[in-house]
Amino acid sequence: MLRLIRSLVERARRERQQGGHRQDGEDRVRTDGGTVDPAVGSRSRGERAAATVRTATEGEFLRSAVFWLPPLLLTGLFVYGAIGWNVVISLTDWNGLGDPEYASFDVEMYARMLSDATFLAAARNTVALLVAFTVVTLLLGLFLAILVDRGIRFEGVFRTVYLLPMSLSFVVTAIFWAWVYNFENGLLNELFRAVGANFLVQGWISDPQFKLAAVVFALVWQFSGYAMVVYLAGLQSIPTDQFEAARVDGAGTVKLYLRVIIPQLRASTTSAAVVLMVFALKAFDFLFVLFGTNLGKSVDILAVMMYREAFGSGNWAYGSAIATVLFLMALSVIGPYLYYQYRRGDL
Amino acid sequence: MTNEDTRGRLRRRTVLRGAGAAGIVGLAGCLGGGGGGSGDGESGNDTNGSGGGSDGDGGGGSGELEIVHWWTAGGEQDALNALLEGFEQEYSDVSVNNNPAPGGAGSALDTVIKNRVLNDDPPSTFQIWPGEALTPYTDADILRDIGEDVWGEEMRNNYLQGVKDLAQPEGNFVAVPINIHRLNNLFYNVEVVESAGVDPASVEETDAAPMAHQTKAPWSTVQLWETVFIGSEGADAFLDLVDGNVGDHEEAVRQSLSTLIDYEEHFNQDAGSISWDQANSKVVEGDAAFIHQGDWAAGQYKASEGFEYESGWNNVAFPGTDGVYSVVTDSFVFPKSNPSPDATAKFLQYCGTVDAQERFNPIKGSIPPRTDVPDDEFGPFLTQQREDFGNSESQPPTITHGTAVDPETKSNVEGAFANFIESWDVESAYSDLESALGN
Repeated sequence: MLRLIRSLVERARRERQQGGHRQDGEDRVRTDGGTVDPAVGSRSRGERAAATVRTATEGEFLRSAVFWLPPLLLTGLFVYGAIGWNVVISLTDWNGLGDPEYASFDVEMYARMLSDATFLAAARNTVALLVAFTVVTLLLGLFLAILVDRGIRFEGVFRTVYLLPMSLSFVVTAIFWAWVYNFENGLLNELFRAVGANFLVQGWISDPQFKLAAVVFALVWQFSGYAMVVYLAGLQSIPTDQFEAARVDGAGTVKLYLRVIIPQLRASTTSAAVVLMVFALKAFDFLFVLFGTNLGKSVDILAVMMYREAFGSGNWAYGSAIATVLFLMALSVIGPYLYYQYRRGDL
Repeated sequence: MTNEDTRGRLRRRTVLRGAGAAGIVGLAGCLGGGGGGSGDGESGNDTNGSGGGSDGDGGGGSGELEIVHWWTAGGEQDALNALLEGFEQEYSDVSVNNNPAPGGAGSALDTVIKNRVLNDDPPSTFQIWPGEALTPYTDADILRDIGEDVWGEEMRNNYLQGVKDLAQPEGNFVAVPINIHRLNNLFYNVEVVESAGVDPASVEETDAAPMAHQTKAPWSTVQLWETVFIGSEGADAFLDLVDGNVGDHEEAVRQSLSTLIDYEEHFNQDAGSISWDQANSKVVEGDAAFIHQGDWAAGQYKASEGFEYESGWNNVAFPGTDGVYSVVTDSFVFPKSNPSPDATAKFLQYCGTVDAQERFNPIKGSIPPRTDVPDDEFGPFLTQQREDFGNSESQPPTITHGTAVDPETKSNVEGAFANFIESWDVESAYSDLESALGN
């Protein structure tokens, strides 16, 4: 966005300079505008001002404002304005149904986090979920993509089958997985009983040892199809010559992928990882449907805690502070990605 | 470049300029209307409507009554419709805007109402648990005192004291309770219990679980705990506890938590992955003998074919809680900044009448707070409950269903039990409870 505006300004200035040339050939002096220069003393101040106004209204920068200004203002207000206001609220002591007091600001809410065992547990779980979910989903997605890309029959069918879970709402999948994880008659435990692996029969979503892992597994199931599609696009953009060349050079299948193909999938990995991480931060729906707002230490995440504090307890300021932390986490994920894209010139 | 081209371009540019200007005007409109919150924006530009207290009647002359509630599941919805039907018969000049916010126990309604109250755009009336659950609203002075308009002499004489107390958390009446569920029930499957003999311990000899329960979400365990506590220590000790005197009852709290651990051994094994109604259907199907639940659980028994009261299922007061009727109740309130004050007053008056409570409660499966409602419409089970209610010595509120503690405390107690049902650790549960309830 900024880049776009800058380039527009640049172009407008260039145009103005050319216009100046045509008029009186004194652009070298005139372009710096404000300073008084004896060389242009012959022109009256009024004339110069009028010229500036004329060039300003005719410059593309202003004329193009029609296109970029409304979205800029809307985004500014509803996205950045809202984020800013959230930060402001997090600095107050607002709770209950009264109005916030903007008289004094402090970072009390942030200090409170550090001594709040619930917050620390939730933050730890959020990070664990984020890392485990993203890494496993990427690996599984890559594996599936390679399999599907091997020129198998019914490629389209498999692609759809793997991608389908992603189109389901978290609400559906949460209830679905509650059935799968049921201790007595859930699919998973039944499977283990059938093969005689009774030691693997567990209360998957009630035992704190497995709760988070069970949630991560369910989310991986839902999103690995997405990672697969992203990788598939990456794989199919690699020219077949490279596969052939590597074969001719005597590379086996494993070596072919490890040395030649996978290194070229960096862009796919980055973009899939960013999307997945942001999804992980928003695993709220899944957990909310599964357990409600009080999840217990082993699986509580910041998004649910934020909701609980704000709407359950009416601690708006504390909820906002947690929201700010979540925002910073999302930013630290997406910031480097944007920078990377920017440096590559894709943005 | 031909002349025509230039003109075409110019015209297009003019059009675009116009469109851009319109966009900016639209944006300004958004900014201007922003203060009014999520209202329907009909007359967005009046003086912000922040007057509040005094009759903001203005356009409300037509008297449309907007009711926000969470009764959207089968029987609940029928009960509400019966209530509204009765109301419309009584007051044909008021039109009702039935605006539900579905979500069990008000999980979604709470969010909707808080947002609307903060935006100074509350509905005419909304469903809420009375008692301490009203704390945020009374603290912010949002509810109108309806002691004169609604709570007439006649109505006051026909409500029991425990319920009237809930309607006036700050000493003045702000809510009208419309129904009462009992929390301290122990339901059982007659067949399973008989086949196992009376001794509950031998129930283990059948395939059925002795006690159906759910630990997926903490609330069922919270309500079991408070009932166990009342059962062993009595209602007065419970009231003292929720008042914040945790230290005085340290031993009793630990003891009740240990009792839960004893019970846990007798729960169905999949307690951690099912919901309360799934647990309840285990009783219906004979897969479990007992369940502790509020008497809304009976709705499921009623809907099951061939599972009749007394022959198929029965209930007793939870052990130790004879003479106690733990009250779970819903009420309607009167927000001060009200779009339709007259209609709201009429509706609340109606909710307090015999007619309204006789229409609503039999369908909802609850009993009326008024003791003078005739028994005719209520089946044998509810008639029994009404008798118990009339004879009860105390009607304590509950933590789980909002009436005993303010919402923040409730959330923290649930947090304590969310950890407890993972770790079953009395020590840390006690300290969590102490910091949640203590003052």
